[in-house]
Amino acid sequence: MTKGLLTTTVGSFAKPDYLAEARTQFAAGKLSREELDKLERQATKEVIALQEEIGLDILVDGEMARGDMVAYFGEHLAGMRLGGLVRSYGNRYYHKPVIADEVKWGAPITLDLWKHAQSLTDKPVKGMLTGPYTIVEWSFDEFYGSRRDAVLAVAQAIRREAQELEKAGAVYIQIDEPALSTRKEDLAIAIEGMGAVTDGLKAKTITHVCYGDFASVFPGFLEMPVTQFDLEAANSNYDILDLFRERGFPEDKELALGVLDVHTHAVETLDEVRAGIKRALEVLPPERLYIDPDCGLKTRPWSEAAPKLKVMVDAVHQVRKELGIE
Amino acid sequence: MIATAVGSYPKIPNKPRPARLRNALNRFDRGQLRIEEIHEVEDEVTIEALQEQAEAGLDLVTDGLIRWNDEQTYLAQKLAGLSLNGLIRWFDSNMYYRQPVVEGPVAWREPITVRDYRFAVEHSAKPVKAVLTGPYTLARLSLDQHYGSVERLATAFAEALNQEARALQQAGATHIQFNEPAILHHKDDFRVFSAVCHRLVEGVTAEKGLYLYFGDVDGIYPQVLDLPVDLIGLDFCMGAANEQVLRRSPFTKKLGLGIVDARNSKLESAEQIAERIRALSGGLPPDQIHVSPSAGLEFLPREVAQEKLRRMAQAVRQAEGVLV
Repeated sequence: MTKGLLTTTVGSFAKPDYLAEARTQFAAGKLSREELDKLERQATKEVIALQEEIGLDILVDGEMARGDMVAYFGEHLAGMRLGGLVRSYGNRYYHKPVIADEVKWGAPITLDLWKHAQSLTDKPVKGMLTGPYTIVEWSFDEFYGSRRDAVLAVAQAIRREAQELEKAGAVYIQIDEPALSTRKEDLAIAIEGMGAVTDGLKAKTITHVCYGDFASVFPGFLEMPVTQFDLEAANSNYDILDLFRERGFPEDKELALGVLDVHTHAVETLDEVRAGIKRALEVLPPERLYIDPDCGLKTRPWSEAAPKLKVMVDAVHQVRKELGIE
Repeated sequence: MIATAVGSYPKIPNKPRPARLRNALNRFDRGQLRIEEIHEVEDEVTIEALQEQAEAGLDLVTDGLIRWNDEQTYLAQKLAGLSLNGLIRWFDSNMYYRQPVVEGPVAWREPITVRDYRFAVEHSAKPVKAVLTGPYTLARLSLDQHYGSVERLATAFAEALNQEARALQQAGATHIQFNEPAILHHKDDFRVFSAVCHRLVEGVTAEKGLYLYFGDVDGIYPQVLDLPVDLIGLDFCMGAANEQVLRRSPFTKKLGLGIVDARNSKLESAEQIAERIRALSGGLPPDQIHVSPSAGLEFLPREVAQEKLRRMAQAVRQAEGVLV
């Protein structure tokens, strides 16, 4: 058994064509909820098999039921609903969620597919949640009128979902806050919200941030009450490691290092990934270092994601051998 | 008192109305439509935007910037010296823009928005104002590989946009608005900003508006009143401090009251809006006041945007009656 450099992914995988098609049919009222559920479970089974075949250590359910990471919770939390279409760029639109009333957890949201995924493998499957700050920041708040009040209310609902996952046996729970770096003056609110989610959880908690200027929320970001930070690095030349080398990385935290750029078709070379891992080992020991892609893989078809992940797993095996931990 | 918009209008409606522009662009991407056909759809949607603003009761409308992908690239792609880079978040919003890259001297080559302006005037029941992103904001949101200073780059943009403004004026534009949100994030640069504004408006005799949104003017007020424009539009939603700041000194230009929240779908009532107009008009006569949303309306679903404009126009008529 290895003593470190566990491999994982950030959360999402691309939906197989049949599921993407089924979602369109469902939205048009031409497919029943039951039929869609069946296909979501089928796709989850396939994504678990894919990860096992690649040889990852910590798996995900691939988020086969989720369109957008905020809209999904917007649809399922009491007090929230999906609003009209808003454009993000070019011809891309999304249904922006609306906080229309007091936000409450009504019933499990992510639990069923997580349980299904976990039943298919002996490896741990991460519970995947969206953080309260991101849910509020990417929604219209028509009810609370104060960002802090809204974040703390949503945090209680997400906390409840995290407790359900933990009760069902999840040992890793990831709570993503990609909106965090949008407004650095809100860092304290985001930290308070995360604290409300993770307080008292026994599972390892993880948060992922991407695409913002991480440096702009450093080092305050390290106050986030989670066990592990999952950060993109490959996409930015591993600059983030220089920051940690110069300014330190907390001794009681773990780091999941992104070593695959999810926005390019090109497959990284073994040497690139190995070099990145070794740079990270200058900052912290293998027991506290996890290796994964920069961000969710939903932008890459499986035919592109799989070779990238294989290179990552191969690089990790090489480094582990060099370290004598495998 | 004038009820108006700040710039963009949502490009597609929600069901059951068809999302014509979105569908057309999807077909264009699949090679099923020609670019000329896209332009026709853009024209049709522009007419819709003009009609919906008029129906809502606005006195002064924009063309909705329907053809603009974002507030940088539509201008940047037709200026010399620029290429376009990847997507960047637009201020602290959930919208993105493609970053212009300044690779050489910036120069105006041909009219960029004049045909759009003429088209809007021809199809609008209401007076139309021309809208341009200001030179300082263009400079701040570009990647400069040529000039080496924001001042030099912004001045170059000002020279180019001055030609665009003159071309609009020649085409009959009587109101030209410049949007300059970036200065509120770089208030230390006010001296540069002021010089750039002077260069921008040389020879422009049309009524000139300057809209400053996504923040407040604390720290550059009352200096903004010395800028060579006729109207200054302020954001009282994200710039809540503007209310206090304006009490420090009498407002000596036309005032744009951005009081309907363009970034939240919560609907204000006409009474609430009218009350805000009364509270903020600070003794200015009604004909010195333009009332608008706090920023462009593309942050909102189309139906919410129109309902906000409808209530705002009602409020303007109510407040006008009281203030006259």
